[in-house]
Amino acid sequence: MSETLVLEGVSKRYATHHAVRELSLSVPPGSIYGILGPNGAGKSTTLRMVMNIIARDAGRISLLGVDPAREREVLRRVGYLPEERGLYRKMKVIDVIIFFACLKGVPADRARREGEAWLERMGLAQWRDAKVETLSKGMQQKVQFITTVLHQPEVLILDEPHSGLDPVNQEVLRDTILDAARQGRTVIFSTHNMDQAEQLCEYVCIIAGGQKVLDGRLRDVRRANRGNRYLIEFDEASAEADRFIHGNRRLLSRTQRAPELWEVELPAGDEPGELLAELARLPVPLHRFERIEPSLHEIFVTHVGNAAVAERRQEPAHV
Amino acid sequence: MSEVMLILRREFLERVRTRGFVLGTILFPLFLAAVLILPVMLDDGAEERRFAIVDEAPAGIGERFVQALTAPAPGAETSRYRVEVIAGPLDAVRDELHARIQADELDGYVVLPADVLERNQVQYRAKALGGPSVLREIRSAASQAVQAERLRQVGLELQQVAALIRPVEVDNARITAEGEEGGDAASTFLAAYIIAMAIYTLVAMYGMSVMRSVLEEKTNRIAEVLASSVRPSRLMAGKILGVGSVALFQVLIWAVLIVLLMTQSGAIAARFGVAPDAIRSLGIAPGTVTLLIVYLLLGFFLFASLFAVLGAAVTSEQEAQSLQMVLMLPLFVPLLFMVPLAGDPLGRTAAILGLIPFTAPIAMPIRMAAAPIPSVQIAASLALLALALAVCVWIGGKIYRIGILSTGKRATLKDLVEWVRIA
Repeated sequence: MSETLVLEGVSKRYATHHAVRELSLSVPPGSIYGILGPNGAGKSTTLRMVMNIIARDAGRISLLGVDPAREREVLRRVGYLPEERGLYRKMKVIDVIIFFACLKGVPADRARREGEAWLERMGLAQWRDAKVETLSKGMQQKVQFITTVLHQPEVLILDEPHSGLDPVNQEVLRDTILDAARQGRTVIFSTHNMDQAEQLCEYVCIIAGGQKVLDGRLRDVRRANRGNRYLIEFDEASAEADRFIHGNRRLLSRTQRAPELWEVELPAGDEPGELLAELARLPVPLHRFERIEPSLHEIFVTHVGNAAVAERRQEPAHV
Repeated sequence: MSEVMLILRREFLERVRTRGFVLGTILFPLFLAAVLILPVMLDDGAEERRFAIVDEAPAGIGERFVQALTAPAPGAETSRYRVEVIAGPLDAVRDELHARIQADELDGYVVLPADVLERNQVQYRAKALGGPSVLREIRSAASQAVQAERLRQVGLELQQVAALIRPVEVDNARITAEGEEGGDAASTFLAAYIIAMAIYTLVAMYGMSVMRSVLEEKTNRIAEVLASSVRPSRLMAGKILGVGSVALFQVLIWAVLIVLLMTQSGAIAARFGVAPDAIRSLGIAPGTVTLLIVYLLLGFFLFASLFAVLGAAVTSEQEAQSLQMVLMLPLFVPLLFMVPLAGDPLGRTAAILGLIPFTAPIAMPIRMAAAPIPSVQIAASLALLALALAVCVWIGGKIYRIGILSTGKRATLKDLVEWVRIA
């Protein structure tokens, strides 16, 4: 099965800056794919180019096998949640949901039925006939999420879906994203929240300053970015253990996290087997010996640093 | 349902359901009726006025004056003037009169001076002078009295002379295709004025409504979601047709009200004391009504497409405001030329305003209400209007397509040209 979304050398330039530079990535079908980056990194610009809202200056985009700029029809198979949200403020909640679903070709009666089911699920059943403008921001966002997914799109493209949601609703959102993936849909979303991404993503792409920093399967990214660092925990603190750690010449660094807990680093490329064998020979029983996996947050900070937040600029659509 | 129909349906239902629409539909005819009828009704005709007449004039004039002033107006049973005659001279009674006026026992006094025949003038003093009709009636009564006395001095009777010199009426009527059925000059002007105001109001009101709707979708980023489901050209078409059908719906409601009014016109006219055929004479041939609606719709489409483009090019309603005035200017021009258009509908100025697509939607209905316009001119005017509409939709569609998805600053003229080029 071919990739759901492929970007090759995609660039977008504005008068004063490069919003996206030579970006390539590929999203496997059925995956949850996170595009991560600091504010102004070009996440939204990338997604907006995929949605053919703004035109790219260079590069190739293939969405479900076709170029969305040439064959707009493919966008009907996508559910898109823009970064800045908005609905018709004067309309009734259920009417808004039906309207957007009908535009995507869902029959009106089915749209009503499923819209009501979704409202129920999102805890908004009692707001069915309320005007959108009377809802809180978080509630409006949930309604908009319903309009994004109701027509059962093959691909969900969500621009910062977590922002503006309280923890409870972030949980609801997480479940629906996982559900969608379980049903075989591809979910592509952008975020600057590494914890959210870590919980959800199978694949990630980190971009900064409009350029890709790294991408790939989250497990592989972690593996590629782990150092040669290990956690050593003894059953109990002892002078012998301390002496061993302090006296071991091969360790590049050693940090005592607790009386019985150490974090140590081996030179790059050194296998941990020898160290483990030495530890096993100590009279103090070993409780734990494990390789330290970096969190996405750590990887992100290592690669991106404290990237300056780019200023927002005018973005004419140039479709 | 097609996408255009879905958009149209939403625009229509969301508007027709509002309280504003219901109120507007009912209130506009009431407002129009009020503007036409209230000034007549509010004239001080009914209010009683208490006058003292200070009579210093030669014998006979005072009596005739009082008689003429207190004669009931045509159609009324009693006069609104209550009059007491006081002997002069004025200097002897002025203070007392002023005191009584201050005490609100009198509304005013009229002095018929001793030399009224030579000076040809009477004096009228009052706390509140009243409307023009009061002055007119005093002048008329005084003229009758003085003229009668002058005639008497040369041995003639007023009634006799009045019968001899009574003015000749001009019975005027427009010749329409059906014959001499058009109303007279006054009712023609009135009809033209009402039609022009109605079209102006509808085009401006619903044009701006299109703009606000575009702006809402743009600022709320609804446009970004819509653009992934609908072609922008269809979005624009659905929107304009949807708002247009609201306008048409409103006109239909008004048409039904007018037909009701006309079938009841006798009763209503009688009630307001207007000649029974005054309302009926506003009647316009069905063929003309069809053309009026065509002009209304084409005019609306033309301006709505411009308003849609404006909505797409700006980023907030405040930004749109000054530009929106500029857009409406051509729509307003025919109202400034009301007199040449309705008074000389077949003249050169009227013909030119009827050909310019941006003034035609109002200029032509005014002309058509005032006179039968040659079909060649109507055809040419409609053709130019349709052409302008096509060009505006074509160019405007390009700007709209990019504008609704653009964020950031308001587009400059240079941006717009660029958008048209690349779209």
